[in-house]
Amino acid sequence: MAGLSRGWKWLRRNALPIYACLAVAYMLIPIVVIAVFSFGATPKGKLTFGLDHGFTTEYWSSAFSLPDLNEALMTSLRLAALSTAISTAIGTMMALALVRHRFHGRRAANLLIVIPMATPEVVIGASLLSMFIYYSFALGFTTLLIAHVMFSISFVVVVVRSRLIGFDRHLEEAAADLGATPFATFRTVTLPLLAPGILAAALLAFALSIDDFVISNFNSGTTVTFPLYVFGVALRGIPVQVNVLATMLFALIAVAVCLVLWQQRRAERMAAVRPEREAAPIPAPAS
Amino acid sequence: MKSNGTQSRRGALTVSGVIAVLALALGLAACGGDTVGGGGNGEVTTAKGGPARGKLTISNWPGYIDPGPKGTVAEFEDKTGVSVDYIEDINSNDGFFGKLQPQLEQGESGGRDIFVVADYMAKQMYDLGYLQEIDHADLPTVFKTLLPSLESPGFDPERKFSVPWQGGMTGIWVDTSKAPEIRSVNDLFDPKYKGKVTMLEELRETPALVMLAEGVDPAKASAEQWLDAIDKIKAAADSGQIRKFTGNEYTEDLTAGNIVAAIGWSGDASLIENENAEWRMPTEGCTQWSENMVIPVGASNTAAALAWMNFVYRPEVAVDITEYVEYISPVQGVKELLAKRGSELAQSDIVFPTEKFTAKCTGQNTPPDLERVNEAWQEVLTG
Amino acid sequence: MGLKQRLVPYWLLGPGLLWLVLFFLVPMYFMGELALRSGTLTTGFTFDWAWANFPDSLSGHAEQIVRSFFYAGTATVLALLISYPLAYAIAFRAGRFKLLLLFAVIAPFFTTYLIRTIAWKTILSDSSPVVSVLQTLSLVPPDGRVLATSGAVIAGLTYNFLPFMVLPLYANLERLDLRLIEAAKDLYSSSHTAFLRVTLPLTMPGIVAGVLLTFIPAFGDYINALVLGGTQQAMIGNVIQSLYLTQRDYPEAAALSFLMMALILAIVVVYIRFAGTGAFMGDEEEAT
Repeated sequence: MAGLSRGWKWLRRNALPIYACLAVAYMLIPIVVIAVFSFGATPKGKLTFGLDHGFTTEYWSSAFSLPDLNEALMTSLRLAALSTAISTAIGTMMALALVRHRFHGRRAANLLIVIPMATPEVVIGASLLSMFIYYSFALGFTTLLIAHVMFSISFVVVVVRSRLIGFDRHLEEAAADLGATPFATFRTVTLPLLAPGILAAALLAFALSIDDFVISNFNSGTTVTFPLYVFGVALRGIPVQVNVLATMLFALIAVAVCLVLWQQRRAERMAAVRPEREAAPIPAPAS
Repeated sequence: MKSNGTQSRRGALTVSGVIAVLALALGLAACGGDTVGGGGNGEVTTAKGGPARGKLTISNWPGYIDPGPKGTVAEFEDKTGVSVDYIEDINSNDGFFGKLQPQLEQGESGGRDIFVVADYMAKQMYDLGYLQEIDHADLPTVFKTLLPSLESPGFDPERKFSVPWQGGMTGIWVDTSKAPEIRSVNDLFDPKYKGKVTMLEELRETPALVMLAEGVDPAKASAEQWLDAIDKIKAAADSGQIRKFTGNEYTEDLTAGNIVAAIGWSGDASLIENENAEWRMPTEGCTQWSENMVIPVGASNTAAALAWMNFVYRPEVAVDITEYVEYISPVQGVKELLAKRGSELAQSDIVFPTEKFTAKCTGQNTPPDLERVNEAWQEVLTG
Repeated sequence: MGLKQRLVPYWLLGPGLLWLVLFFLVPMYFMGELALRSGTLTTGFTFDWAWANFPDSLSGHAEQIVRSFFYAGTATVLALLISYPLAYAIAFRAGRFKLLLLFAVIAPFFTTYLIRTIAWKTILSDSSPVVSVLQTLSLVPPDGRVLATSGAVIAGLTYNFLPFMVLPLYANLERLDLRLIEAAKDLYSSSHTAFLRVTLPLTMPGIVAGVLLTFIPAFGDYINALVLGGTQQAMIGNVIQSLYLTQRDYPEAAALSFLMMALILAIVVVYIRFAGTGAFMGDEEEAT
């Protein structure tokens, strides 16, 4: 009897983490499927999501044997990295301006940021293409980069802005009181506190870029990105190597994240004894 | 609050200012009354021949060539020294056209020297002035080995702008373990297969096959007859008889067992992991099609493009392509070479159909009053 | 305020605004101009103030618009319900696994939209064990299917847009000071009330951002309907795609796109009025 109520109590207290694990498992289901089927043998090397022919590791050993696929993947990664860097920087600056300052044209600026998100990708892609053609601008990596940054900015702004709202200004005021210049305050107080929001925005921008198909399709010229490659081969059979590389990429980044975490823990343990704080800084005093 | 009021007034002023500027710009454009597009501007150029060198860029459908270090592309590169950028980015004729149209309009090739598109699309591009003409003198091998039946097709009677790549037939794929009796397109409308049937989304395939099954000749049908066939299909879609309109995805559904039959293409055997699936020629006939190599305007390396065309028409090269792709080769002598290799494909009706086999088949027909018919068909596709 | 101070917002906004004006507004202008033309690809598109294109493009497509609204709306609500507790857990209970969990949320994007939607198609295929389980649970009729139904499309939309909901929620929740909740509890409120009166209002900006970031792209999506849907699930995105690429009726495609954008903006404006302008526009004093 006591065991049961203790069990129930444990469940109640840990309901949230358990739910989180379930939710994350749900997110990862297709990835598991993709990974599993990268080991499936198929007669012509085309993906069939069926395991009738048994297991094989041959696609893993020949993972890099499709030069087109490799090139497409590298292009996508480069594009996403650059696009993320540029759009996160620009977007964060915009979010700061919009939340922290009052100025003419604020509403117009807000509107301009929301509208791209409301536009169907086909329209953005096609209209950009028309403009590039009109000005005889060569299609390729550059036009892709321009397009990717363009559609990422709005998302970055929205995410960073939601973090900025309710941001406690008193810490910055305290820093100023202690003689810090505005720039130093920004660098040492604002930016670190804003970091999670910026990180979330950057992750989103990266994901958007690496995954984009419609807009890239219109503006790529002869450059092939990973989604374009996949969409292209899906018609006649996706080579299993696609699954292999996707799984590898995922695993690589998982390992990188784990390394970062491990490094963090080591740094914390080696630093002076200081209690772990996850709560936000001092709230505004009641006025 | 006063400042808010001022702000919103200023905001309103800014917005109206922007609108005024836009209106002015539009007005200026209207005064021009300009027309964009319409094609057919400028004379048609002929592709220049010459020694092949440099870089060649080809756009093709995926899985349409034998790949790898021993494949046709590698062989060509070895023999001629031309470096080939072979891109498999054509998923649909319309999609590819839509993507390239703005550049072709301006006389640019989109960076490609050859595309491979369906016959009706080749004709459409040619009519719009997007293609270069080909001088037969530059293609000796092609016109020596080209199958006679392909020398003078309806859409390009003098082979001025197109050279066949591979051909195929559209019929019915049937899962013989679940629905062995299906032999005609009419069988697909049988309620006992409700929700277990798919059809292709091509205007020139599905409605044409339905018309054939009704005894109407698609090559001569009126717009009304096309619309009637489309109505019949729409009713079936609305009632849930037809599960989906597909491009190539019907192969996945057949493999997964989601459907018992599909209108599909003859060469897709390699994509269907289902030993019970078999391609059948509908009793009333099929539609035949071929994909063609064309050279766009503004292509930079036409000499290499022409050399490529000659190269793939050599029977010993063509046989490699057909053996991998399993579609119909336009080159004479391929069947014999395959038989010598002991390949089963040599006996296949699908890869080497006889005149008798395709007696009732029709080609890719464009309906009269195309816009109206196409619009009605799109309504069906988009539910 | 000194001149330099006053110019700061403009410097900050400058690059972004310039980028958006050059690469969004200008192309939009070209598209708007296209919407007012009439003609076909073969005859050419003439500019003749063809305002009729706008109502014409709507006729016959009302069904798809309503359907898109329904699918996107349902997917957004489901995403919110799934994501809020998840974001909360990541922000407050994850400890050192925060980054890992965030990564797990983003991870699906590395496999490309098409592949993971196809993976779902396999998981939900008629003969799969998952569907059998659903049939035994009576969530699906005994001889029914999951694929090629509205349910599949909504499930696909929800799944694919979850990160768009989780990330803004997380970014905002992370700012939440747990001590405010403790204070509420000290004042004898139940967890339930504390959530409703303290947590929820404070996290409104995150919810607003997440809802908008999810609903808007979901509304214009066409891949889920394409892969997971049947003949009756086409969304407005599929219609525009078809108009543009298959029918090549550029003026109608452009007109419909503008109308769609206007509709979405109207919904956004109404939603923001409802959720509180401050929460979205970023006026800190108004966000309560």
